[in-house]
Amino acid sequence: MVAPVVETKLLAPSLRREVVPRPRLADLLVRGAQGPLTLVSAPAGFGKTTLLASWFAAAPSTENDDHAVAWVSLDERDREATTFWSYVLLALDRAVPGSGAAALTLLQSGQTSVEAVLVGLVNELSVRSGEVTLVLDDYHLADGVEVASGMAFLVDHLPPQLHIVVGTRVDPALPLSRLRARGELVEVRANDLRFTPQEVSGYLNELNGLDLSPDDLAVLESRTEGWVAALQLAALSLRNRDDRTGFIAGFAGDDRFVVDYLVEEVLSQQPDDVRRFLLDTSILDRLTGPLCDAVSPQPESAGPRTGVRPGRARLEDLDRANLFLVALDDNRTWYRYHHLFGDVLRSHLIDERPDEVATLHRRAAGWHADAGHVDAAVRHAMAAGDTGQAADLVELSFRALGRERREDLLRQWAHQLTDDTLRNRPVLAVALIGGLMASNEFDGVDGRLDHVEHLLTMPTDEVVVVDRDELPRLPATITMYRAALALVGGDPAGAITLAAQAIAVAEDGDDLAVGSSAALSGLASWSAGDLEAARVSYGTAIGALTRAGHIADVLGCSIALADMELRLGHLRAAEQTFARALALAEENTSGLAVMRGTADMLVGLSRVAWYRNDLVGMAEHLRRSDELGESAALAQNPYRWRVGLARMRAAEGDLSSALKLLDEAERVYVADYAPNVQPIHATRARVLAARGDVAEAHAWAEDHLVSTDDVLSYLREYEHITLARVLLAEHAATGSSAALDEAVRLLDRLLAAAAGGGRTGSVIEVEVLRALAHNAAGARRESLGALQHAVQLARPEGWVRVFVDASPVACDLLRELATEQPRSGYLSELLHATTPVDGAREQTGDGRGARPGLVFGSDRWPVDMLSDREMEVLRLLGSDLDGPAIARGLFVSLNTVRTHTKHIYAKLGVNSRRAAVSKAHQLGLLSGPENR
Amino acid sequence: MNTRPSQQPPGHYELRIEGHLSEHWSTWFDGLTLTHADDGTTILRGPVTDQAQLHGLIARIRDLGATLLSVNVSDADS
Repeated sequence: MVAPVVETKLLAPSLRREVVPRPRLADLLVRGAQGPLTLVSAPAGFGKTTLLASWFAAAPSTENDDHAVAWVSLDERDREATTFWSYVLLALDRAVPGSGAAALTLLQSGQTSVEAVLVGLVNELSVRSGEVTLVLDDYHLADGVEVASGMAFLVDHLPPQLHIVVGTRVDPALPLSRLRARGELVEVRANDLRFTPQEVSGYLNELNGLDLSPDDLAVLESRTEGWVAALQLAALSLRNRDDRTGFIAGFAGDDRFVVDYLVEEVLSQQPDDVRRFLLDTSILDRLTGPLCDAVSPQPESAGPRTGVRPGRARLEDLDRANLFLVALDDNRTWYRYHHLFGDVLRSHLIDERPDEVATLHRRAAGWHADAGHVDAAVRHAMAAGDTGQAADLVELSFRALGRERREDLLRQWAHQLTDDTLRNRPVLAVALIGGLMASNEFDGVDGRLDHVEHLLTMPTDEVVVVDRDELPRLPATITMYRAALALVGGDPAGAITLAAQAIAVAEDGDDLAVGSSAALSGLASWSAGDLEAARVSYGTAIGALTRAGHIADVLGCSIALADMELRLGHLRAAEQTFARALALAEENTSGLAVMRGTADMLVGLSRVAWYRNDLVGMAEHLRRSDELGESAALAQNPYRWRVGLARMRAAEGDLSSALKLLDEAERVYVADYAPNVQPIHATRARVLAARGDVAEAHAWAEDHLVSTDDVLSYLREYEHITLARVLLAEHAATGSSAALDEAVRLLDRLLAAAAGGGRTGSVIEVEVLRALAHNAAGARRESLGALQHAVQLARPEGWVRVFVDASPVACDLLRELATEQPRSGYLSELLHATTPVDGAREQTGDGRGARPGLVFGSDRWPVDMLSDREMEVLRLLGSDLDGPAIARGLFVSLNTVRTHTKHIYAKLGVNSRRAAVSKAHQLGLLSGPENR
Repeated sequence: MNTRPSQQPPGHYELRIEGHLSEHWSTWFDGLTLTHADDGTTILRGPVTDQAQLHGLIARIRDLGATLLSVNVSDADS
């Protein structure tokens, strides 16, 4: 298993019991936490973390959600932007539930820029009533080009509710002078952090009970210059000493570096075994009892204390004695050395026992490997100079890492492990190539693949392979990567050929290679418009990837497959595809964390229900999908969900709500690799056509270069059918016979193209439209013929909606058809569905009260629970305006917006803007012509 | 100060730090020699491959909390 999150990084370090109160600094921080940015910038050992943690501990509780605090302890690995922002968003979302989840989904999809992610975060936070302070401790470890640009953007667009506090040893690469000039920066620097004579006295005499004379205190203050780290060491050195004045005088008269002098003193007071333990374990970033036992085993002579884990007891002793440790959690299970002392201990270790350092790292690597911490294990193995062990570990874990989508680690190692290590390790080399490609890094991959292929021609005793079973799998995997390179390089035909080769050479049971190759082939065929081939490939991919346990990929492929099945007319098959994937996702959900992608399968099922005209089922699927929340959804789900609800609203006759939802869908749209065969703008044009907005619909066609003269292809078929609908709407509105002629010509061509490509789903739709066109032209016989053909094709799969959208004309035609042939159950169903019931299905443009199909569980909302003002705010929450812009738009203060938002969230039972707006749409709160 | 061309050959550097640093730091600082001056400062002296290594050394001084007084290019063998 790979831990995706190091939990202790999100906890403020546990405070020591004894801390000198420093009200002047606390005041500075309180002032700072009201402004945008607070900088606590000072060298090591100045008590930055302690100051921040004590302020954190004293911060008002989050219960009244007035002021939440989010904490992140950064380290070198956070220099990578995605890692950094993942922790930041996670910390914010825990402090203020709902504030970071949507942004996190977007970030982890890897399909959008950090800035776009942060815009979402800012818009969310900017309407909230509560304040939140984000503490970034040890920021200097993460500061770099990657992180700095996003931070600068965030600081520039900081909503008034968000305050950032940075603890760092180096001034960060942020526009500090500008913030300073505007009075938007509060700084706590080394000089502020130095202990004053009073604080020195408080620390040494009152807290540590040393009872030093004022003269001694003055000497210590001046020798240490109020440096906290030095004072702490001085207190330790003085604790067991009788001649304190003598010691202080000796210290003052010595030129040695303060820390050296004092650490020497403290270490010399420790028994040999403690000293050894301290130096041994100084190589660890984080310490816990069993790990210490492994790295620094108790010598035989000490004798095991029965029932006690010596490492744990030792850490507790050190913690109590106040020796260098910082507890990372409240249970005091994990610790780290204070950074400065850790460095001093390490320097002693490498000076005194240089030969043992590698051994210690190797032991740490072994313990972490057994505990399943691959990341830490590899790091220690590399530090041990044991690239062989590191390479072994990577080789043995890469499959698990792939399943858990931790290819980022493989990518990182690809850059760290040298060519020399990879020289004769084909399995490792292929594992790292996978990491690079999954991170969209294609440079140099070709050369790496060539090298591996060369290795495979060598005698087996000249190559190093840890897991022999992997070796026969390599040829298929290599060919699969070549197929991926071809696809990325714009050669779908080459990709399809290579993918077929990969499948042909795959070992029996190598489901991952088969599944991945088939998925690649499917994507290539799909992009090239060869639906039938793509469908077969995706079917193969889903089966193989399911067997390989790559469920996340199965869900992605299922969306693609169902999309094609629908176009090919296989409504039942599409339903099964979604239902099977949903069941699989539910089986693989453990505990509360619902598998990502589950929500998308429900949206898929809602689409199937829509084609069947089952609006009740459709609403239910959409509601369930929304309730699962952002963490159960892929990055594309927010837009697909809105398109789904827009279709439902349109089906209910509420076209203005449908348009609004589609506009929102455009705003939250995130592209992926799949061809965009049903663009939102075309769906929007269909609603415009249904409304009779012919001019606007024609403007759409011009903007998107959709014309009746185009060469027809599957990829733009949806747009061309949309254009036919626009032309029919034009004829209906103006009686233009030219428009009707054009529509008929286009539909005839579309029919031939769709039939030729086996796209029965499209044929049904085109035939229904042809029936309308011929009917409008007075050609009743042709009209009936077309409709009969549509009914004949639609019957086996149960398509209904396409006929309902064509009523009342379709209803009339169906009646006539029914008199000519024996009445079937299906035809009756169509007749029933297309017959207007008491005007309830009239397309009035105002959906309110005209919604027989609308059932959202039992929680239909009494609309009057939201005030008019709250309704206005709610409408603007669906826009991409931030809080101040909403306030300006409504001529109210930002505080008023925040209060309204708080009430809206509470009344709707949600915790984010997106959730509030989608809930409101479900409840029909945002319907009605007054919103246009 | 020396204005050096951007093309940096491996050079010898001298870093002066306040206080007398213990001998054991020599390994920590990539084997630079460590000399205690009479004015209570320490001079770290030795070959530095490139700017990246130089900045790494300076970061280590920072992480010690020690005060960096000066950085100079020096002639080898001085």
